[in-house]
Amino acid sequence: MAPERTLILGVGNPLMGDDGAGIEAVRMLAEANLPANITVKDAATPGWALVEWIKDWPSVVIVDAMQMGLKPGEWQCFDARDVRFTSSEGAISLHDSDLAGGLALAEALDLLPPQLTFYGIEPESTEHGMLLSPAVSANLPELVKYILNKYAM
Amino acid sequence: MTKRIDVHHVTRVEGHGNIVVEVEGGQMKECRFDVIETPRFFEAMLRGRSYMEASHITSRICGICATGHATASLRASENALGVELSEQTLLLRKLVFHGEILDSHLLHIYMLVAPDFLGVGSVIPLATTHRDVVLRALRMKKLAGDICAAVAGRHTHPIAMTVGGFTHFPTAAELKDLQAQLVACRADVNATVDLCATLPWPKFERDTEYVSLTKPDEYAFIDGEILTSDGYRFPINKYEEVTNEYLVPHSSAKLTRHKRESLMVGALARFNNNYSQLHPRAKEAAEKLGVKPKVTNPYLNTAAQVVEVVHCVEDAITLIDQLLTRGIKSEKPTPVDLGKIKAEGCSGVGACEVPRGILIHHYKLGQDGKVTGANCIIPTNQNVGNLEADMRALVPLIMEKPVAAMQLDLEMLVRAYDPCISCSVHVMKVEKKS
Repeated sequence: MAPERTLILGVGNPLMGDDGAGIEAVRMLAEANLPANITVKDAATPGWALVEWIKDWPSVVIVDAMQMGLKPGEWQCFDARDVRFTSSEGAISLHDSDLAGGLALAEALDLLPPQLTFYGIEPESTEHGMLLSPAVSANLPELVKYILNKYAM
Repeated sequence: MTKRIDVHHVTRVEGHGNIVVEVEGGQMKECRFDVIETPRFFEAMLRGRSYMEASHITSRICGICATGHATASLRASENALGVELSEQTLLLRKLVFHGEILDSHLLHIYMLVAPDFLGVGSVIPLATTHRDVVLRALRMKKLAGDICAAVAGRHTHPIAMTVGGFTHFPTAAELKDLQAQLVACRADVNATVDLCATLPWPKFERDTEYVSLTKPDEYAFIDGEILTSDGYRFPINKYEEVTNEYLVPHSSAKLTRHKRESLMVGALARFNNNYSQLHPRAKEAAEKLGVKPKVTNPYLNTAAQVVEVVHCVEDAITLIDQLLTRGIKSEKPTPVDLGKIKAEGCSGVGACEVPRGILIHHYKLGQDGKVTGANCIIPTNQNVGNLEADMRALVPLIMEKPVAAMQLDLEMLVRAYDPCISCSVHVMKVEKKS
């Protein structure tokens, strides 16, 4: 059986401290020797466009800083179907949406990929700044290695 | 009986704006559109920075009109420094500009305006009730973004556009692929026109002074002269004669007016002033939509955007033909000679028609090429005074309606202007006193 085609998206804003963790993760992944079934992409801060990117992939992985109530730098993997995308209707008013809005739209269109997995890393600070916090920097290589082992081996 | 409409942060517009209307005993007591955005100080940020950085800094003013700001910025620096552009640069600048106009107009038509007419609160329920409409919108928006990425290096905040030219060039294969997609996109464009032709635009007329750029030989998006529907014409470096900025207490945006109490910029102004230069297919679309100049119903600004979508798709196809016929060359940007700058410095004005209307950047540069003064005039500012004048004219016509219906009419009016006040989220609050 051919390995499953997987799209790995790094999400976040590298100008906002640890919010750039997902972007840094895909940068590190892109430097590794990836097999042909894996595509990595810096998705920045996606909105509605997310639907077009993810719709035809059997498997999509999203790496992002997420507030999960863990200690800074701790990370967690979970299936998209185990969480709720919170995107309140009245809040959709800006020139684009956010990750939750993009996912909600994909869900409404029934275009979520069969496999959708999140890797969230708990941020310490998402204030202005282009550096990751020590806690996130220290743990990010381990997360990247885990993803590589799981998808690229 | 008093009716009070107090929409705190109008939804499906870009930015923070409040509608405040109060009607008492059949009299309009209050009618305002408050702009409550924080000033952003980009003009101050530019001072002391090199002309080379200005387009990259100012493109961040807006995540929608990033290419527009970069273009106006580059034209200001190029005009200040006397930099001439190659034919290829002009063609590529026009092509990427079309990409951005398409992206922005499609967002507005489908994501921000259509839900009002299709009876839903936002695009998410629309995805369930009108799946094909949303899929079409996303497909078209992706193509628009791909044009920007191929020409300027990425979807938003162009990286390859620089003073004097480009630092990266699309390949012929990329251009051919985009062109094939644009041709295929005609079916979606037609469907967009057909959909919008069925929408019951609210009836409301108020004539105003329509202001846009104009060029002798094409439907103007970049450069040209300023033309008003009252017959005034100015070179762009006399922009201050038209955009007299003034302040009011309830708005952090500076308002503008010319000879009348207010003026309107944007797709409708361009349509009214430059209709004859639209692509024939765009004129056909206008006929289907039932619009012909001079349109004085501001709700039809969205219809004018639909017409421009047709024009930009067709013109992008033509521009790619021209680029492919000439052959894409990797050429160096026109060099800049700072030695030519006189002791007192130099200055230049750049103007273009971004999705929401005329955008002007005016820079003063010192002998070292650093910005010593900057002025950026943003279209939404120019429209705020006109929007309020429309609201004042509209409220007496709708004051017998229930509050919720009045509120929807007013919100739809605000959205018709596609105001870009900047990123906003939020809720609305309606009070009915009796």
